Amino acid sequence: MIHEHVILKKVKEALVDANTKINREVETFLERYEGPFSDIIKENFRISKEEKLPLCQDTGLVEFFVFAGHKLAFEKPIEDILNKAVEEVYTEFPFRYSVVSDPLFDRINTNTNTPAVVHLFHVPGKKLEIRFLVKGGGSENLALLRMLNPSSSVIEVKELIIEHIRNNGAKACPPLHVGIGIGGSAEKAVLLSKLALTKDFKERNKDPRYAKLEEELERELNLLGIGFQGLGKGPTVYSVHVECFPTHIATLPVAISVDCYLCRKGKVIIES
Amino acid sequence: MRVEKLKAGQEIRYSGKLIVMRDQAQKRLKVFLEKGETLPVDLTGEIVFYAGPAKPSCGRGVGAIGPTTSARMDDFLEMLFQLGVLATVGKGKRSQKAVEVCKKWKRVYFIAPSGTAAALSKRVKNSEVLAFEDLGPEAIYEIEVEDFPLIVAIDSEGETIFKE
Repeated sequence: MIHEHVILKKVKEALVDANTKINREVETFLERYEGPFSDIIKENFRISKEEKLPLCQDTGLVEFFVFAGHKLAFEKPIEDILNKAVEEVYTEFPFRYSVVSDPLFDRINTNTNTPAVVHLFHVPGKKLEIRFLVKGGGSENLALLRMLNPSSSVIEVKELIIEHIRNNGAKACPPLHVGIGIGGSAEKAVLLSKLALTKDFKERNKDPRYAKLEEELERELNLLGIGFQGLGKGPTVYSVHVECFPTHIATLPVAISVDCYLCRKGKVIIES
Repeated sequence: MRVEKLKAGQEIRYSGKLIVMRDQAQKRLKVFLEKGETLPVDLTGEIVFYAGPAKPSCGRGVGAIGPTTSARMDDFLEMLFQLGVLATVGKGKRSQKAVEVCKKWKRVYFIAPSGTAAALSKRVKNSEVLAFEDLGPEAIYEIEVEDFPLIVAIDSEGETIFKE
């Protein structure tokens, strides 16, 4: 049994950190950057950390990926615990409520930043691993799903991705972290592209063919020269990750998700 | 400020007033205009900042604030200029149509640094809700800023800093 208060405490701490402390991987890129606005970008992460102010005013829609061991028991549904963590953090800290209740008609703010989006995966063992993204709307709007023909080539997949970032990358606060989901069904591909964004920049796909595709995409996307804030200086992307899944003989779903230059994410591991 | 003299790429530090509004507020203003009703704000001579601030922290009147993606609001740009707006501030590249609208009205578009909301909030001296309080972070605010870093991204001649 994992107690609610244990999950709540760890997830809350991680959510505050993701919103107020610069991601270590990103920090190394930022320290090398000397283009436009570089001073204020660096000043920002000092002030955020010292005063627990959010790095970005868009404190996002929180998206959780829960890998729950099959031997675990919980006091209440994990989704309820995670929503409670989000509500408590976002009401206690000077973060923005960015969630509206109804998407089309009312669009009334929920004033808690909930509900969060929760994806559950049942895995072997007795470990609980919770990954999350603090996902801003600007980068989320770049999400794309395309159902390609099953006979499409690797080059066609690459062209789709490069074209999408070429046309839209500057809107989403580059340098971007790019997640690609290939295969499965339509929604599975999108989910894979999001899972790819929870990876560390240096991780590579275990299949060398996909690892090579990641490296090629990273290099070619950086040749676009979009740069920090779309102003042409510094990298366009930090890293590209590809996740795949078996698919139907008639389909080739390809999904693209991107994260903004702050890459606000976290990981909580609790052993029973 | 003589906005028509500014050139694309020019970096400035702006001190003065900004009117903060984004998607929903502009959508509502459009409905007011369509119904022939008086607007709750006078935008003559104002600069519109596309942003939605976070809650203020204790003891501070202004929460974290920063630009949101401007391209989403390209369809409202001409309406803003018709209402007397001098310039807009946001982030990211805008559509070709927005570039043409800037040129036609001799107006400019500035970008402010994104993802720097804590640092930018230090440059905001005052803030006040002007209208649509029910929209929360999407209400219309007036803020007074000091030393606010901006880059001219589209100038009054239709020149832009973003690559095609």
